[in-house]
Amino acid sequence: MKEAIVRSLDLINFDFKSNLHSILIKPNMCYYYHPSTGEITDPQFVSAIVDILQERFNDPEISIVEADASAMKCKYAFPMLGYDRIAKENGIKLINLSKEESTKISINIKGSKFDILIPNIFNKSDLIVNVPKIKYMDGVNISCALKNMFGCNANPGKYIYHKALNDIIVQINKHINTDLVITDGIMVCGKYTKRLNMVMSSKDPVANDAAASTLMGLNPRSVKHLASASKNGVGSMEFNPVGDFNDFIIKFPKRGAKDNIRKLAASFYSRIFY
Amino acid sequence: MRKINIGIIGLGNQGKIHLNNCLNMKDVNVLGVADVSRNALKLAEKKGIRNTYLNYEDLLKNNQIDSVIISLPNYLHTEATIKAAEAGKDVLLEKPLARNVSEGRLILSSAQKYGIKLMLGYEMRFIKSLMTLHDEIAGGYFGEVQFADVVNVSGGPLSSRGEGARPLAVPPWWFDKEKVGGGALLDLGSHLINLLNWYFGEVKDVKAFIGFMYNMDVEDVATCILKYKNGPLASIRVGWFSKGFFQSVQVCGTAKNVSLNLAPLSIFRVISGDIKTKLGWHKNKSIYSEIEYFIDCLRKDVNPSPSGEDGLRDLQVIELAYKTASRLDKIQEASN
Repeated sequence: MKEAIVRSLDLINFDFKSNLHSILIKPNMCYYYHPSTGEITDPQFVSAIVDILQERFNDPEISIVEADASAMKCKYAFPMLGYDRIAKENGIKLINLSKEESTKISINIKGSKFDILIPNIFNKSDLIVNVPKIKYMDGVNISCALKNMFGCNANPGKYIYHKALNDIIVQINKHINTDLVITDGIMVCGKYTKRLNMVMSSKDPVANDAAASTLMGLNPRSVKHLASASKNGVGSMEFNPVGDFNDFIIKFPKRGAKDNIRKLAASFYSRIFY
Repeated sequence: MRKINIGIIGLGNQGKIHLNNCLNMKDVNVLGVADVSRNALKLAEKKGIRNTYLNYEDLLKNNQIDSVIISLPNYLHTEATIKAAEAGKDVLLEKPLARNVSEGRLILSSAQKYGIKLMLGYEMRFIKSLMTLHDEIAGGYFGEVQFADVVNVSGGPLSSRGEGARPLAVPPWWFDKEKVGGGALLDLGSHLINLLNWYFGEVKDVKAFIGFMYNMDVEDVATCILKYKNGPLASIRVGWFSKGFFQSVQVCGTAKNVSLNLAPLSIFRVISGDIKTKLGWHKNKSIYSEIEYFIDCLRKDVNPSPSGEDGLRDLQVIELAYKTASRLDKIQEASN
C-alpha cells in the first residue's frame, strides 16, 4: 500500500522538499462502516500516508481531522474504525473539528441562508491532505475529494445542508484549499463493492474528481458541484492521467442505465410509502 | 369485548412501532405514553394520545391503565418493570429481560410477588414460518433433529449502515457496556436462543466465540454452539458488522431438512408488505401479532409465552457463553 502511494505521489511530482510543519489529513469517515465496504477511508491507508509524510518531512506535526455529523460522532468513530490506534502508533493527533474554534460564514443559496463553520485550524496548517473514497451518492452523483471536504464543516447537524448540497460543497472548498488529494481506491463502492487496488493522487481536487467521475462512467461536466467548483476557481476540470488510469476505468464497477432507472424507481417508491 | 387500556413506556424505534400497532387495534386503548424526549411525546400527541408523561412513574400512577409495553434501553428494564409490577400493571417487556441474570431474577421475583403477567417481546416467535417450524419439529416431521443453525447479521444498533438507510444518530447508551449489558449476542442472539430453546428445550452445554471488529466494549460478532439436553447441536451466529441484513434458520433431521431465509426479503414481499401496511392490514406482521397475542392473554387471563422465565433461561445461556467465550482476534489486526 505504501509503495503504491509513493509511486502515485512520484507520478504527480509531489514536492516533499518544502519546509512544512503542520499537516492535516482529512479521511472520509462518513459512518461506522468497516473499511472493507469501501465506504470509509481505510485507516491502514492513512497510516501509510502518515509514514511517508514522517519520512519525507522534517519532524512534521500531523493531525487526522474529522467533524461530527448528524449520525456519526468522532468520539465513537475514532476508536471504532481504528484511527485512535493509528494515532497512538504514529504519535500523531486526532482532532474532532466540531470541538475546534471556527469561523461562521453565511451564504445565500437560492434565497435560503446557510451558516457554515470553517475550523480555524485549516488557516494555520501548512499542508492539507484530502484522503477521500470514490462513491456514488444520491443528489451529487459522486462523492470523492470535494465532497469529502464537506465533512470539515464543524456544524454537526449536516442534514440541514443536504437540500443545497452541491452549492455547499463548492463553498466549503472555496474556504478550505486542499493541497494534495490521495484517493483511497483500494476498495471502491461502485455498483457493488470491489477491490480495485487503486491509489490516485492529484494536487487539484477538481481534476481529481473529474478523473474519478470518468472512472465511474460519468461525464464530469454533468456533475453539478464539479462544474460549479471549476467555475468558482477551486480547480480545473482538465486532467492529464498518468499511470494505469485506463485499466481502472475498465475495472471500476459502474452503474449502468438500468441501475439508474432502478434507483429512480426506488426513490419514487420510497416517497410514496415512507 | 372489553377493551384493554395500554400505556407505552419508551418511544424509541421499537416503542413507536408498538404505538402505531396499538393504535390500529380495535380492542386496545392507548391511554398514555411516557418518554424523556418532548419531541417523541409531541409526535404521540399528534397521533391523538392525550396523556403524555416525561416520567414513566407518572404514567404508572394512572389507575385506568391495565398494562404497559416497556421499550426502554436495557439498563432501565429492571427498575421500570419492577415499578410497573408494584403498580399492578401487566407488562410486555422488550427483549432482553435484563442486562444479566441477577437483574432478571429481580424482575421475576417482583412479577411473582405482585401477581402480574410478564411477557418478553421476542417478535421472531410470531413469524408464521417459524411458528410452523416449531409445530413440525414437535410433530416429528424432521424425524430426529441433529443440527440447527440460525444466523442473524445486520448493522445492529448501527442500523444506518444498512443499504439505502438514512443515517440516524445511535443513542449513546448502545456504546456503553455498563448500560447495554452485552453486544450482538445479547441483542440479536437472545432472539435466536429463545427461538431454539422453544424448539428444543433445555441447554446442556455452551461453547462460544466472540469478536470485537469495531473495537467497542461489547462484542459485535458471536458464534455459539449449544448442546441441548434432549435435542440437537445448534449453532448461533450473530453480527452487528454488516451493511446487509441476513436472517436464516436451518434444521437438519433424520427424515427431512429445511432452510428458511427470513431476510433479505424478495422485492415482491417487500412491496406487498408495504401495500398491506399502507392499507392498514397489519395482521401479517409478527410484531403486530405479538401485541395481539399479549392482549388476548390478558383478556383470557392466561400466562403469555415467551414468559419472564423464558427470558431468564435465555440470559443464563448468554451469561454462560460470555463466561466461557474465546475471544476472536480483532479482524482488522488479523488482516494485516
